[in-house]
Amino acid sequence: MIYLYQGVALLEINELKQIVEALLIATPEPLTEARFNTCLGDSNSKIPLQEVIRELASDYEKSGRAFFIKEVAGGYQIVTNAEFESYIKGLFSKSGKLRLSQAALETLAIVSYRQPVTRNDIESIRGVSSDSSLRTLLDRKLLEIRGREDGPGRALLYRTSTEFLQYFGLNSVKDLPRLKEVEDILAEDDGELV
Amino acid sequence: MKNQLHRIDLDMFEGPLDLLLFLIKRDELNIYDIPIAQITKDFLEYVNLAKELKLYSAGDFVLMAATLMKIKARMLLPIEANGDDEIEDPRTELMNMLLEYKRYKEATATFSEMERFERPHYYHIPATWSPQQEDNTAILEDVKLYDIMLTFQYLIKNYEEPATHSVAVEEVTLSEQVGFLNGLLQAKAKLSFAGLLEKFDSRLVVVVTFLAILEMLRNRQVKVKQSKLFDDLLISRGSTFGN
Repeated sequence: MIYLYQGVALLEINELKQIVEALLIATPEPLTEARFNTCLGDSNSKIPLQEVIRELASDYEKSGRAFFIKEVAGGYQIVTNAEFESYIKGLFSKSGKLRLSQAALETLAIVSYRQPVTRNDIESIRGVSSDSSLRTLLDRKLLEIRGREDGPGRALLYRTSTEFLQYFGLNSVKDLPRLKEVEDILAEDDGELV
Repeated sequence: MKNQLHRIDLDMFEGPLDLLLFLIKRDELNIYDIPIAQITKDFLEYVNLAKELKLYSAGDFVLMAATLMKIKARMLLPIEANGDDEIEDPRTELMNMLLEYKRYKEATATFSEMERFERPHYYHIPATWSPQQEDNTAILEDVKLYDIMLTFQYLIKNYEEPATHSVAVEEVTLSEQVGFLNGLLQAKAKLSFAGLLEKFDSRLVVVVTFLAILEMLRNRQVKVKQSKLFDDLLISRGSTFGN
């Protein structure tokens, strides 16, 4: 397959795969279609990144690589296969990734479904002070402050970040199971409420 | 009942709502028709236990205990039918709070599962140095408010007020400092926040100047850049500078 590029040059699929591979290695954040086209220069003919990714992904799979291309936070990134975790851990001083506490997960769940939210919104749902979980989540960049509320007090508003999507392997917050769905699944398990 | 309570691991609850949900589940109570007297009794037993152990977060539990006792008292009062208005059950608010909390608590399990699933995967993250970076102070274009606050906290911690013995009323206002920064930025395209700190001899002036920067940032009179977290803040002219 041959793609038209900048009206004149012709890019062959193998070349494109190499370009995308290079970009995936160097990208500090998920590589989006828009960013990809920016990298290719001012091109009128948009090259479908998804297609190139698919080709590249199947190459990786066939040749048995230790990594794969993950669709996350609206773009693509290279991640290692799960079976190498025990070796990779040795690269870091702490024993692998730290898990989030129950309190932090609760706070995160509330923010992700209700964003943007204020600390007060979170605390009134949880019924406990959530200062320290918010701090942990901000420090780990899973949450970010996005402006202030209009009302009195102009409280800070919290939102989930790109790192949040990466951490949970989500393409977008829309991919989260709806709260109702969670209830349904649990209701099936229990057969009754509570 | 008492023995059962003692077997509860006190750390396992995230708060009073969590404890109530536990009691409801354990005793197979109906969340839509909570036996207030029973649950209040069990709840208070727990709170007393927590007090003995001097749990520092007992405040939230005591508040809930008070709420439960209030509901209990209201349920004992004779109900006065008030025309056609439906009589509100004193438990409604608590029930709604519990149901709301329960939804998120259940969602937390999903998050936990997603975390467990994603944990063994590591992202390929390139080294942070970039070979062709001419201006190595401009790597982090997208400085977040939280980063700026952390940096300020860090810088001011290391800031020592020169020892003086004169007592004077310090007067410095936000608008004065905005004017001061405007003047400096007219003369120089870039200002270093750490450099500014050296010029001041009081914490108050530092704080007010920092507030002035935040104010100007909000009005887009300045831009703030930082090469990495806790690094010096570089202040430059924003899109509305001089307006």
